[in-house]
Amino acid sequence: MGIYHLLWLIPALPLLGFLILAIFGLKMPNRAIGIIGCASIGLAALLTIIIGINFLTSPPTGNFYQQTLWTWFSVHGFSPAISFYLDPVSLIFTFVVTFVSFLIHWYSTEYMRGDEGYPRFFAYMNLFVFSMLTLVLANNLLLLYLGWEGVGLCSFLLIGFWYKEQENCYAARKAFIVTRFGDTAMIIGLFLLVKNFNTLNIQDILTKAPSLWQPGATTAFWAAILLLGGALGKSAQLPLQTWLPDAMAGPTPVSALIHAATMVTAGVYLIARMHVLYELAPVVQLIVAIIGAATLLIAGFSALAQRDIKRVLAYSTISQIGYMFLALGVGAWSAAIFHFMIHAFFKGLLFLAAGAVILAMEEEHDMFKMGGLRKKMPVVFWTFLFGSGALAAIPIITAGFYSKDQILFFALASTKGSFWLWLCGFVGAFLTAIYTFRMVFVTFFGEQKKEVHRKPTNSIKIPLIILGILSLIAGFIEIPKAWGNFAPFSSLMNKVMPQVQLAAGMENKEVLLEVITGIIALLGVYLAWQFCLKSPKVLYNFKTTGLGRFIDKFFFKGFMFDQLYDIILVRPVVWLSKIDKRDFVDRIYEAIGNLGLLLNKIFSRTQNGYLRWYVCGLVLGMAVALTIILFV
Amino acid sequence: MNALISTAVFGIFLMISGLFIKSKQAIRILAISGVVAAFVLNIIDFRQYGASATELFHGMLSVTNFGLLFIEIILGCVLVYFLLSGKDLANIGHYTGEYFALIFFILCGVVLAATYGNMLMLFLSIEIMSIPQYILAGSDKHNLKSHEASLKYFLMGAFSTGFLLMGIALLYGATGSFDITTMNLAGRPIDAMALAGIILIAFALAFKVSAAPFHFWTPDVYDGAPTVVTSFISTIVKVGGFVAFIRLFHIAFGSPDVDKHWLLVLSIITAATLIIGNVTAVFQQSVKRMLAYSSISQAGFMLFAVIAMNVLSWQGILLYAAAYSLATIGCFAILMKMKDYTYDGYNGLAQKQPLLALMNTIFLFSLVGIPATAGFLAKYFVLSAAVEKGGLLWLVILAVCCAAISAFYYFRLIWAMYFKAGDCQVEEHAITPAFKSVLALTALLVIILGVWPGLILAWI
Amino acid sequence: MPSPSYPTLWPFLIYGILVLLLAGGMLFISHFLGERHQEKETDEVYEAGIEATGTARLLFPVHFYLIAMFFVIFDLEAVFIISWAIAIRDVGWGGYLAVVIFVAILVAVLIYEWRIGALNFGPQGKKILRAYRHKIKGVNHNEVVDKQNN
Repeated sequence: MGIYHLLWLIPALPLLGFLILAIFGLKMPNRAIGIIGCASIGLAALLTIIIGINFLTSPPTGNFYQQTLWTWFSVHGFSPAISFYLDPVSLIFTFVVTFVSFLIHWYSTEYMRGDEGYPRFFAYMNLFVFSMLTLVLANNLLLLYLGWEGVGLCSFLLIGFWYKEQENCYAARKAFIVTRFGDTAMIIGLFLLVKNFNTLNIQDILTKAPSLWQPGATTAFWAAILLLGGALGKSAQLPLQTWLPDAMAGPTPVSALIHAATMVTAGVYLIARMHVLYELAPVVQLIVAIIGAATLLIAGFSALAQRDIKRVLAYSTISQIGYMFLALGVGAWSAAIFHFMIHAFFKGLLFLAAGAVILAMEEEHDMFKMGGLRKKMPVVFWTFLFGSGALAAIPIITAGFYSKDQILFFALASTKGSFWLWLCGFVGAFLTAIYTFRMVFVTFFGEQKKEVHRKPTNSIKIPLIILGILSLIAGFIEIPKAWGNFAPFSSLMNKVMPQVQLAAGMENKEVLLEVITGIIALLGVYLAWQFCLKSPKVLYNFKTTGLGRFIDKFFFKGFMFDQLYDIILVRPVVWLSKIDKRDFVDRIYEAIGNLGLLLNKIFSRTQNGYLRWYVCGLVLGMAVALTIILFV
Repeated sequence: MNALISTAVFGIFLMISGLFIKSKQAIRILAISGVVAAFVLNIIDFRQYGASATELFHGMLSVTNFGLLFIEIILGCVLVYFLLSGKDLANIGHYTGEYFALIFFILCGVVLAATYGNMLMLFLSIEIMSIPQYILAGSDKHNLKSHEASLKYFLMGAFSTGFLLMGIALLYGATGSFDITTMNLAGRPIDAMALAGIILIAFALAFKVSAAPFHFWTPDVYDGAPTVVTSFISTIVKVGGFVAFIRLFHIAFGSPDVDKHWLLVLSIITAATLIIGNVTAVFQQSVKRMLAYSSISQAGFMLFAVIAMNVLSWQGILLYAAAYSLATIGCFAILMKMKDYTYDGYNGLAQKQPLLALMNTIFLFSLVGIPATAGFLAKYFVLSAAVEKGGLLWLVILAVCCAAISAFYYFRLIWAMYFKAGDCQVEEHAITPAFKSVLALTALLVIILGVWPGLILAWI
Repeated sequence: MPSPSYPTLWPFLIYGILVLLLAGGMLFISHFLGERHQEKETDEVYEAGIEATGTARLLFPVHFYLIAMFFVIFDLEAVFIISWAIAIRDVGWGGYLAVVIFVAILVAVLIYEWRIGALNFGPQGKKILRAYRHKIKGVNHNEVVDKQNN
């Protein structure tokens, strides 16, 4: 077992980094801060890779390794442990989190150079990685919840990293409050689970649940849907997706790490982890699929109309996570996790590349003010192109094709899938190709509108190149069945997850579907080229018409969800609080407060300093108590 | 019984050496090494005693590993206390050796409280704990308030000792035994004499742990005594009183047909303690006086361990002893460095001494019971012990409400330190790196106990 | 008595009444049984006839009380040691050891008292002189003088 005993070090190293930076950060030179920030994550990543290789070559018995550090406390048989659980699912998540984080940390050493909050930035980032690793490695839901809230906190801190600007603080607050809705649902779900199982140990729950609940049981429904609430908030899915586009107020590496690659997929992880619950509650699973499909469409349409390069990426993230939810909803657990991994690579890459562009353009976010950067920043351009290709799922050569295609196939072919779900995904794929390449063409082609201000250095280029290569080749570990029998990823996943059930007569249609989606992706690229580069007039003319302007605005505002919530939630609350200025609920508390004041006065009166009164009180108390004990 | 012997011998030794050694520093180091020695010797003892009681000196002492573990915690807290506040203790007046000697005598009493097996030993332990306190409370000879505190404490204490002796006498009359294990009240109709005895003893002990309505002396004494002494008597001695309380009531009066008689009275005492302690603390202006009231309210929580009477309550009192003592000693250590003891005196401490403010915040969090600090788990344990006991849910709800009230006056201090602008005066020269590092280690310990209570609980 | 679990009250009541009777009796009976005089000297300070002179509000040296306390302490020691001496053969070496410890503690206390000067009665010329010399040198040693003046 040897190397597995070091499992605890994987989260401990980032924590150590955080502690060092938090305590001594202000007194250290920036170089040392960068080294500590990166090295702690880098070592964790290295350790993960070593443990991962060990895991693949000689898997432990039962395909999991559990390391219990200590039991927090033990009361009434409820004893949450500080314990880590490594199985293929958490291994993949740990690998992606540590590896991508390492690259992003490395990138940040350059990106954040000269910022006065340099030590703070790396301290938060390390704390985030620690929390995220706690989340994915936790063997019980309480520890998972600790990580869950930890990443939420770091997200809040990092969105508002440049806190001197009011807007950023609002964005941070919005992210915190919106996700709080979900978290509240989730903690109620946890209470429900504790009540039913008297444990929060994930594996115990998963093994006990089928014997406790029939498929479709009401309690299972509630448990599943409450946990789903948490997942929706964290993963920015309908109806709690509104915080993510605003979260782009944070520094770009933060967007890459937290709001694209890792934290926002925590919801996917939670559902995949608790998959037994969802199989016991088919209704909820269907809801997951529908929410995924709806989200990917809405976010796809919204991305079409954005001008801010980071907002395009933000909507595309929502949309891609929608795909993962779709996969979860049709029971394709492995496909969801595969798409998570690939998405982490290419979306991290896209954000980092966008960050390099933004850095070069002196904090300019509007891509219509960029243009023609292809020649000036070749490395950034090519890697961005790879990432975009993967995002748009360009057939055969990009990794995104393999992962997204699998999801689309299962959306149709799974017993839980349907034509309508597939159609949504299919339209979404088309939209993805359009907005992705719109972004590529507008930013990197055409005439140059602004000078390059700061050339990317090696610590920016190398992470980009590594992620770029991964965005191309990482898909080859999961070749579609129709092409050959090489799928190590899903065979690894299927050791601990149920395999997707295919409906009868669907096996042969995979190739056909692949051809259709491939064509639609290429068609999307073509359309983007046509309307953004070749003849933008057409689009421009359309936008000036009344309908066009409305659609543009509607999409730009993300289907007006903010406005909707403003009307149905914020305004009523504000209105209520206005008419209830002298809060009647407050009266009760005020009464309690006044009672306290009164009691305080009385009690203070008794504390008058006269010994004779004290002794009287003592004797009186004794008399009363003796009466009680003898006569009651 | 290494702890008993070593504390007694060291007490006498320090008393004498105080006459011959003029250097305060040397005496302080002697005292610290004495605590360390007692600590180590107690560990050696620990191996020899198990969970079942071992009778020593014809049943005068009954030693269990719980008692020894408790002594170990107390000695650890005293070590922290000496390291943090030893200098302040040495500087109360001229008689440095005597102050430390008195502390050791008190420790001797605490050791007895954790191991007595006989009512006479209980009486002795309570008196050995109390008499040095009377002296220590009055040790600041130039301060009239200190004299007042000492005299009040002494007179009230004499009163409660009377209760205690009367109670023991009545119990002896009813049962014919002083031995807490063979007293055997269960299994036969209980007579009023025994009940009156139980209740009188309960009052005497409630007085020692400052439970309402026997708490009146507490604010005056804690406020009047030198701060460094208050720090000691409000922590170590108080939890020492609790261990005497819990052992007597669980072992001698714990059987179900006995406890139904006194449970109601003690529940009312607990409720009154919680309410009075918290409500009165809310509007205090002096932090020192606030901490005095807070010690009353914390006593209310510890009383849960007495009335719940199950395994959880034993674990809870151990945790509570450590959590409460460490946090309060830390708070007092910082308080002693302030020139102004009011809330306003803390204004802006976070700018001036960020580390002190942070550590103080951690201690206050622990006193409130914020998760991930030792105080949270301690409260959780004693309250869930009460829930497990059953029939006490109203009290638990009251306690949780009171914990919420307590957040107000604790957080007010954090508010003053962090969010109020001001120019607080601290004794800069007394804040040495050594002091800071011990303080940081104490805060770390508070957090470690909050996430890993097994550090203590694994031993029983 | 309403329920069988109700505690039996009468022993406690008898006990309480006896306590009251005893305490009250001591006061009352002595009031009735005590001798009464109504002579001229009855209201004098010392009934023996010694005339009181001066004010009663004079300062006693604190040593007076100290010596009284020492007497109590060392007197009680004797009581313990005599009770041991009676049972010396029955308690054996264990008892001997206990008494040795007891005496050792007394010796420690004696050393302590001696050293802090509690056993020095009356003013001490040497110390006062030394303090006085310090004082005229300008060093403030009032405290020592105060202490010794007791």
